[in-house]
Amino acid sequence: MADTYNSDSEPTTRTLLRRVLDTADTRTPRRRRSARLSVQKARLEMPLSSPTKMNVSRRSQRARSIDRLARVQTSGHLDEQTPRTLLKNILLTAPESSIMMPESVVKPVPTPQVVQSSRRKSSQGSLELQLPELEPPTTLALGLLAPGRKKQRLRLSAFQQGVDQGLPLSQEPHGNANASSLTSSLNLTFATPLQPQSVQRPGLARRPPTRRAVDVGAFLQDLRDTSLVSPGDSLRTPVATVPMDTVLEDTQPFSQPLVGRSPSVYHSLPCLSHTEAEDAERAVSHRTQSSGPKLQNYNPGKQAQLLARKAKNVDALAMSFPNKSSAISGEDGVDLLQDGIDEEAEERMEEKLSVSEVMDTTGTQGSVRTENSKGYREMTEAVETNEPKGSSEDEDISDRRASPELASNTTQSPQARRPQFLEPAPPSSTAVLSSEPLSTRFPPRARAPGSRPRQDPHKTGLSHYVKFFSFCAKMPMEKKAVEMVEKCLDRYFQHLCDDLEAFAAHAGRKTVRPEDLELLMRRQGLVNDQVSLHVLVERHLPLEYRQLLIPCAFSGNSVFPAQ
Amino acid sequence: MAVSGALSRRTHVRRKAPRTFLRRLFRRQKPRLRLETGGDLLVHLNCLLFVHRLAEESRMNAFENKDGIIKKEHVQAAAKVILKKSRG
Repeated sequence: MADTYNSDSEPTTRTLLRRVLDTADTRTPRRRRSARLSVQKARLEMPLSSPTKMNVSRRSQRARSIDRLARVQTSGHLDEQTPRTLLKNILLTAPESSIMMPESVVKPVPTPQVVQSSRRKSSQGSLELQLPELEPPTTLALGLLAPGRKKQRLRLSAFQQGVDQGLPLSQEPHGNANASSLTSSLNLTFATPLQPQSVQRPGLARRPPTRRAVDVGAFLQDLRDTSLVSPGDSLRTPVATVPMDTVLEDTQPFSQPLVGRSPSVYHSLPCLSHTEAEDAERAVSHRTQSSGPKLQNYNPGKQAQLLARKAKNVDALAMSFPNKSSAISGEDGVDLLQDGIDEEAEERMEEKLSVSEVMDTTGTQGSVRTENSKGYREMTEAVETNEPKGSSEDEDISDRRASPELASNTTQSPQARRPQFLEPAPPSSTAVLSSEPLSTRFPPRARAPGSRPRQDPHKTGLSHYVKFFSFCAKMPMEKKAVEMVEKCLDRYFQHLCDDLEAFAAHAGRKTVRPEDLELLMRRQGLVNDQVSLHVLVERHLPLEYRQLLIPCAFSGNSVFPAQ
Repeated sequence: MAVSGALSRRTHVRRKAPRTFLRRLFRRQKPRLRLETGGDLLVHLNCLLFVHRLAEESRMNAFENKDGIIKKEHVQAAAKVILKKSRG
C-alpha cells in the first residue's frame, strides 16, 4: 500500500487508474502479488507515461488494456487461472482487432520491467509508437465493427468496467471449465447465448442483458452445467399436471355430485325411483341436454355402469314421464313409481312391451302393499327372467341394491328372485307400520299401491328435520309425538312459503331472494341487531354452505359469492 | 358429509341440507315463485332453528310434566307457541 501512495505523487491518469486497479485488486488475496507487480509497473511506467500527453479516455483505455495485459503477463501464464484473469484475457484478445494489435506491441513493454533506462526508452518509444498506432486501429476498428459488434464492444467495455471495479467474479465457484466455456461463449458472439436464454425463459428475453454480463455468464454456466432438459421438464410438468387437475375437477362435478348426491341425500327415500323422479324433475330443466346424448350412447352400449344407469334412469324418467304416465293405469303414486321402474327397466332392457306386461301383472298381483323398491326389484327380476341377460344384469341389480341404501333388501332378494310377486306381500305388511317412521334404513316393505301416500317422499324429506328434532330434544319420543312434529313442520313450511311470497311481492319481485329470508328471520326474532344472519349461518350450517352464503373475498379482487 | 361425532351411530344427524326437497316443497306450494340458489340454504337454516326451538320447548314441557318421554301433548303445546312466534 505504501507503494501506491508513493506512486501517487505523480497524479497522471495512468497512475490514477493504476491506483484504482490496485485497490480493486487488493480485495482478493491473490491480487496482492499482482498489485505489487502492478505497483512496480506503475513506478516503472510513470516516467514513461508522463512525457506523453494523450487523451484521457484513450490513455485510460490503453492504460487499462496495458494494465490488464501487464497483469495478464504477470499473473497470466501462471497457475491462478481465475475467471477474472481469463475473462480479461478473452476480452482483450477476443474480437477486437485493435487490442490484438497493441497486445503484440504492448507485450514487450511490461516484460522489460527489470531492464533499465535503455529499455525504458525503447519501451517508451515503443509505447509512443504504439499510441499513435493504436489510435488509428481503434478508430478503424470502430468504423469497421458492425453495430452488433459495437454492442459487443460496449458490453465488453461495461464488462471491463465491472471487472475493474471488482465485481465479484471470483465468487463464481466454477473453475476453469467456467472460464473456458465463458471464453468460448464470449468468443463466439453474444447472440448465441442469448438465444437459449430467451428460449428457456421467454420472460427474460426482453430484459437488457447488458447490465448483467456477469450474470449472463453465470447463467450460461448453469445452462451448460445442468442439462438443458431439466428446466424444460420442470416447466413442462407443472403445466401438464394442471390441465389434468382441471380435467379431473371438471369431470367430477359433472358426474359424481349429480349422481352421488341423489343417493346420499336421498338415501332415506325408500325407493330409488323416487330419487330418480326428483332427479328427473331436475333433469328436465338441467340435465336432459347433457345426459341425453349420454343416454343414447349408453343405450346401445353396455348397461353395467352405475353412472350410466343413473343417468339413464334419470333421463328415462325425464323423457318418458309424460309418455308412460298414460300407458299404465293405476294410482298416482303407483304411476310415479311404476313409471320410474318402468323406465329403468326399459332403458336397461330396451323392451317396453314386456315391461308393461310385467307391470300389469305386478299391478294386479301387488295386493296389499308392494313396496317401491321391492316392486322395482321384482320388475327388474321379472324382466330379467324375460330376457335373461345373465350376470351383467345380476350385477346391475346387485349394484342397484347396494347403492341405494336398501341394505336389508339384499337379504330378501334371493327370496324374491324367482317366485317374485307373491312372497313380498305377507312379510312386508307387518314391517310397514314399524318401519314407517324410520326412513333411512328401510326394511323391505310392501304397500298397497293405492294407499301409498304421495307424501312418502315428503315424509322422507321431513324425516331429516324430525331426526334433528329428536336429536335436539335429547329425550325419547313417542311415535305420535313424531307424527305431531311432522304436522308441525308441514304447517311451518306453509307459513314460510306464504311469508316469503308476501315479502317478494312486497319487493315487487317474483323470485325469493336471500334478503327476503333475512327479513323473515328478523321478523321471527331470530336475527337481531345483536345477532346477525351471518352469525347464525356460521353457527348452524356446515362449512360448505357457509362458503356459499357468506360473501368472502378471494385473491384477484374477486368476491364469492358475487354480490 | 360430517356426522356429529359424539353421537352413536344410530342417531345420525346429517349435516347436509335436503336442498332438492326444500326446493320441491317450495315449488309445490308456490308454483309461481322462484327460489334463488342461496335461498334454499337459508330456508334450511330457518327450519333448523325452528325445529330447534320446537324441540327445546317440547322438552321443557315434558320436564314440567315430569315425564321422561316426550309425548304428543308436549309437542302440541310447544308447537302452538313456536308457530305463533314464527309467524313473521
